[in-house]
Amino acid sequence: MFIVDTDVHNYWSSAEVLLPYLEPYWRDFLVRGEKPGPRGSFPHGHRPWLHPEGFSRHDIRPETEDDNYLIMKEKHLDLYDIDVAILTADEPLEASTLANYHYANALVKAYNDYMIDWWLPKDNRFKGSIIISPTDPHGAAAEIRRLGGHKDIVQVLASHGSQRPYGDPFYHPIYEACAEVGLPFAIHFGGQGGVNHNAIASGPTAYYWETHALLAQPAMTHVVSMISNGVFEKYPDLYFVVIECGVSWVPSLMWRLDANFKALRKETPWLKMLPSEYCRRNIRFSTQPLEQPQNVRHLWETLEHMDGQNTLLFASDYPHWDFDAPTNLHIPPAWRDKVMGLNALEVYKRIEAPAAAARVA
Amino acid sequence: MSAAATAPALTFACKAAQVAVGKPTIVTIGRIRVGIFQLEDGYAALLNICPHRAGHLCEGPVSGTNRQTDKAEFVYERAGEIIRCAWHGWEFDIRSGKCLVDEKLRARTFPVHVDGDDIYLEMRR
Repeated sequence: MFIVDTDVHNYWSSAEVLLPYLEPYWRDFLVRGEKPGPRGSFPHGHRPWLHPEGFSRHDIRPETEDDNYLIMKEKHLDLYDIDVAILTADEPLEASTLANYHYANALVKAYNDYMIDWWLPKDNRFKGSIIISPTDPHGAAAEIRRLGGHKDIVQVLASHGSQRPYGDPFYHPIYEACAEVGLPFAIHFGGQGGVNHNAIASGPTAYYWETHALLAQPAMTHVVSMISNGVFEKYPDLYFVVIECGVSWVPSLMWRLDANFKALRKETPWLKMLPSEYCRRNIRFSTQPLEQPQNVRHLWETLEHMDGQNTLLFASDYPHWDFDAPTNLHIPPAWRDKVMGLNALEVYKRIEAPAAAARVA
Repeated sequence: MSAAATAPALTFACKAAQVAVGKPTIVTIGRIRVGIFQLEDGYAALLNICPHRAGHLCEGPVSGTNRQTDKAEFVYERAGEIIRCAWHGWEFDIRSGKCLVDEKLRARTFPVHVDGDDIYLEMRR
């Protein structure tokens, strides 16, 4: 089977790997400036809740920078025979929590250069994401244009914690740049705290598992905002990929949106289709963390309402604590070829299709 | 019936010196991997496959847990008796293999026999 894992976290042993990629002023910031943790920490406005055991799998414990790749190769890429792994970074998503957007831009640029230099050449299965800090959309657009032509870059990625809903015209320079270079715009769970809104709409949760169960909340806001603000009329070929935000909430949200739109379409006269039709055409959802009901048929029936066979993309979230193994993903067997890999080819056009054809045949 | 027919089939696992309290050793026996644990009062062995989602059960941290209480108090107990799966953190009793939130969910255990410095497991063949 052809497998594209759309959420593989490439971590580092210390944020100091970014030092060679930073301009002198920002290098001083990272070496001597204030930080949330010990030396080598990545600067960010910290979230209010903490995972009591740390959020990484306990059997993944890299001690050197090289271990990061070698362990991933042994315990993930080779073990599950993964064809393509889309790298989604880790801490760099948190740059979006910083009020100093100059520093945030410097950090994500340094990360992107490090990722292209250090990670992409290590394995021909790797594809990269350009991390942006959306607090400065014009800076983000410049970064997308700077690196968007790289043959192994397949998407632009921001945290789902944000200052405003992503359909807001404030962010449209980002989508203009994405459309120009032909890359999807993706959001990934994270980036709460600092200047960004809290993960939870009514106020901060206290516990990690409580927060994690609610990770769909910001994603719901972004999905609705992207559709209602007409992003997909302006950029009809743009794919919006929602990573690590759960999936079974999508159908009920679309039912509500479609019904309300039928009554109130005059509020947003620029829309030409039902909200669910934009969702089906332009938005894709990564599977992880897939909901786990007692009876898996309840999940499958729900996923059918969002045309899950065509709109879901497999993700493992390696190496985090809620990791989903490709061999143990509870989706309908008839959907496996599409969800595990083929759907990704529509979204990530720089992934070579011949390899996929060979694996399916 | 001869003695040989009733005696459990024992398989050598590892040397006792290879296992320490709080630090299980994972051994490969045939095609399976088993975690060997030393507790304060003896040894235990668990298959290195979590019954939840087939994660690397024995590569997680050995720890204690918080007792269920009626109010917001944190009573840490059973230190060293719990293994948390390396993947998703589900808690299992090292001796019985029982999952703490659902006793029906059980990690596979193997009876352990110690002979001098050698640790043997009772395994069905």
